[in-house]
Amino acid sequence: MRKKQYTLMKVVFLGPAVLSYLTVFLYPTLRTTVMSFFKVDSITDAVSTWSFAGIENYRSLFASTLFLRSMENIARIWLYGGLLVFAFALLFAVILTSGVRFKSFFRAVIYLPNVISAVALGTMWMQYVYSSRYGLLKEFFQSFGLRGLAQIQWTTPEHIFGALLVAYCFGMVGYFMLIFMAGIEKIPADFYEVATIEGAGKAAQFRLITLPLMKGVVRTSIVLWTISTVVFFIWSMVFSPLSPEPGTVTPMVYMYQMVFGANMVVIGRNVGAGASVGVLLSLMVLVIFLISNRLIRDDGFEY
Amino acid sequence: MKRTIVLAVALAVTAVAVVAAPVVKLVYWSMWNQTEPQAQVLAAAIEDFEAKNPGVKVEVNWNGREIRKTLQPALDNKQVIDMWDEDTERVVKTWGAYALKLDSYVTKRYPTTSGKAYKDSVMASLLDLSRSYAKDKGLYAIPYQPFVFAFMYNKEHFAKAGIASTPKTWDDLLADMAKLKASGFTPMTVDDAYMDCLPGYYLAREKGYQWVQQLVKDKTNAMWSDPAVLQMAKAYENLVKLGYVSNTAASNKWPAGQQDVAAGTVTMYLNGTWLVNEIMGSTGPDFKWGTFSFPTVPGGKDDATAANYGAQAFEISKNCKNPELAFALIVHLTTGKWDAELAKKSYGVPVGGTTDWPVQLTEAKSIFKGLKTCYPWAAGIEADTDKAPVITENFAKLIGGTITADQFVEAMKK
Amino acid sequence: MRNSGVPRSSRAMRGNLIPGYVAVGAWCLFTFVVIGWIILASFSTTRDIFAGNLFRSGFHPENYMKAIVNNNVGIYFLNSLIYTFAACFGIVLVSAPAAYVLARFPSKTNALIQNAFVAALGIPAIMIIMPLFVVITALDWTNSRSLLIVLYIAINVPFTVFFLTTFYRNIPTSFEEAAAIDGCGPMKTFWVIILPLAQQGVITVTIFNFITVWNEYFMALIFANKTALRPVAVGLYSMIQSMRYTGDWAGMFAAVVIVFLPTFVLYLFLSEKIISGVTNGAIKG
Repeated sequence: MRKKQYTLMKVVFLGPAVLSYLTVFLYPTLRTTVMSFFKVDSITDAVSTWSFAGIENYRSLFASTLFLRSMENIARIWLYGGLLVFAFALLFAVILTSGVRFKSFFRAVIYLPNVISAVALGTMWMQYVYSSRYGLLKEFFQSFGLRGLAQIQWTTPEHIFGALLVAYCFGMVGYFMLIFMAGIEKIPADFYEVATIEGAGKAAQFRLITLPLMKGVVRTSIVLWTISTVVFFIWSMVFSPLSPEPGTVTPMVYMYQMVFGANMVVIGRNVGAGASVGVLLSLMVLVIFLISNRLIRDDGFEY
Repeated sequence: MKRTIVLAVALAVTAVAVVAAPVVKLVYWSMWNQTEPQAQVLAAAIEDFEAKNPGVKVEVNWNGREIRKTLQPALDNKQVIDMWDEDTERVVKTWGAYALKLDSYVTKRYPTTSGKAYKDSVMASLLDLSRSYAKDKGLYAIPYQPFVFAFMYNKEHFAKAGIASTPKTWDDLLADMAKLKASGFTPMTVDDAYMDCLPGYYLAREKGYQWVQQLVKDKTNAMWSDPAVLQMAKAYENLVKLGYVSNTAASNKWPAGQQDVAAGTVTMYLNGTWLVNEIMGSTGPDFKWGTFSFPTVPGGKDDATAANYGAQAFEISKNCKNPELAFALIVHLTTGKWDAELAKKSYGVPVGGTTDWPVQLTEAKSIFKGLKTCYPWAAGIEADTDKAPVITENFAKLIGGTITADQFVEAMKK
Repeated sequence: MRNSGVPRSSRAMRGNLIPGYVAVGAWCLFTFVVIGWIILASFSTTRDIFAGNLFRSGFHPENYMKAIVNNNVGIYFLNSLIYTFAACFGIVLVSAPAAYVLARFPSKTNALIQNAFVAALGIPAIMIIMPLFVVITALDWTNSRSLLIVLYIAINVPFTVFFLTTFYRNIPTSFEEAAAIDGCGPMKTFWVIILPLAQQGVITVTIFNFITVWNEYFMALIFANKTALRPVAVGLYSMIQSMRYTGDWAGMFAAVVIVFLPTFVLYLFLSEKIISGVTNGAIKG
């Protein structure tokens, strides 16, 4: 009797969630994967209008300079952006957990940009911070007499990638800082006390106590960062509003253009190529997820 | 007596029929956003149409430019949409399969066409353009809100600099820019969004737009070695050297460059005639606008009779239950009083032949009259979506003075 | 060892905190400046914004009036409220029980389901939405509020399940055992006893879902293309677009502020909850 009740509960409780997963996630993923092997004009075209293209879509992706550049861009965002964000996030996390006053205030302010829509933030960066005429950076450098730095035009093709990276990372630091702070705060204070008594300096404590005990946190953060990098889209659209440009293009931007066509010219769309980009992106996330699970084993150390 | 009774009964029946007539609905998906002046005029025009045609209700969906994404899925969904509008080329090429052929409708006369057939009371060149996009050269899209792509400039600056007439050749342009610079103005600027129009037009003036299209589609990049490319690059390099281009040109993120024109610091900007409306908020209606076509270039074959021109256009759905009514609405919107209102309120070009042009676009009128060849957007330089961003990127560096003409050509050959 | 109340380590460290204050302080100052600029720009005019002198022609609150009046902001807000509240409620209804089963009854199937949910988090939204559109089209279900709500629920289930699973792990099993002895069925036990205990997690994840659904743009664009059904995010984007084409950049900033205001207010009042939520979910995950 008891067992039946439990089985019933499992079915009733899990049912809706699993059902929604199957319809909303599984079917579209399968359809998109299949679509990536066909040439399709419009996203809502009936299957009968698709024309089989084998791996042509994939081949054209790797022959496209714009696509390759987009992959290069997210690789650089992932690596340099990741290092930047994690460095600052960790720094602030350590500072704020070291007993500074107004901790909640600082924490809230640093997290705030993460809550505001990317469109607003991006426009602000573009037309205010980076403006070549009256921008914040220009005024700041000028007031310090740094003529050379003040002259730099941040939104030219040479600098725009860096500009985009900095703007994006600014908004992400807060999010990861919170995660790291939680990881640090979980570590009992006695560990540090003992270490101080034993004569270990702050740097050593960080290296030998904090970092190792944050492995799980770091692993989760890497996966979260990878996901957000792979689907990097809105910021690119804000920095290059009308047409993609090599300095800011990402695979999602490329995919969008494949699916909906270019903005100014009426060129044939190929949704199949867009689908193949999607397949590649999902694979990348999966791979990073599996690799990070392998490399950073959570010891399951309980405290 | 019998006849009077029959007549009376007939009248009574008609009266009842009219009063009891079911409401006829038209669904119109518009490319405009509700707050744009075009939308406001169209809304008023539609109200007027409903008043003149009792029993007709027009339901409008103000999609904004997202119509590019939402229309086709909705049509595939068999949603009832009777008419829509967007850029002429797009409606014909992308949605032509869903549209009704309208050749027989334009030969008729309508209340606002002053006794002429519809096709004779609107810009013929636009109807021809609309036909040219269709595979069977049929008329599927009815154009309105035309534009032409040319240099928009500040007439007051020209007057102050002592320039009597608009430049026709590249040398004229250089001379005029020198005068402008001497009078303290920045002659020209550009935004990232329109960056590639500058090289595109120069190259098209040299060798025609088909050549430009071949150039960018050439996967071997061999065509970039053609001396025409170097001539173009050197021409702009020269402009930069002489200080005729705004020093923020390379970093201008749209609409920063346009706003410089509005603020009165820059004189010329290569753009569409929609620019007047687009920065009206910053210029105000008293801004003295002028227009001149991209000049001819040394050794080139094209002249001011070639430019990118086009319009937005209406299409009627194949499945529309009341195509005559829908067409009547289109006529109502594109001729007579409402064409004039549209031109006035949106500072745009009227499509009806007898309508007055806004004073800001007077000089554009002669350009329109002379047009013989229609360039594609940016004179064809965006024909390859992979190459286009690379061209924009490198040209921006050229116009920003960070690379030389030779370096530009080298970069393009890679 | 005598405990003087404040851990000795932090007392010892407090001395060199000045550089820490400087770093954090500088960052916060920058944040204030840039966000402040957005708000100030919304009270300016386009011309002044691009001239770099925000208040040359004075203060312009009419940007807000224009944004609200001309742009059906009322309808958009109403729609957003409906979608967000309904979706958040539905998400919890579907996810909380599912996460409970996954957390309490480990089995191969459950592990598979959990992994599937995690994998789903990495799939780009566009890959999901467009094929769905074809199905919905065939079912003739577009342009209905119920459809959007169902979709918002389904899309956010994997994340919510993933998040809540960790909360259940903290609750001792003695509660269920006691309830079982009292003759309470397992399903009832969950709703009456366990769920209230997981309150903290449920509230937190609901706040996250609220923000997500409130800012959601693409699905609403595709599935609800009638003005009467549009939520704020779509409305915002079309406001931004139209203001670009009419060159009304100050108005655009006003629209932007109007949209980000609810999330901002929500954030101010609930920042502590959000923050402890992010942290709790992430460490165990």
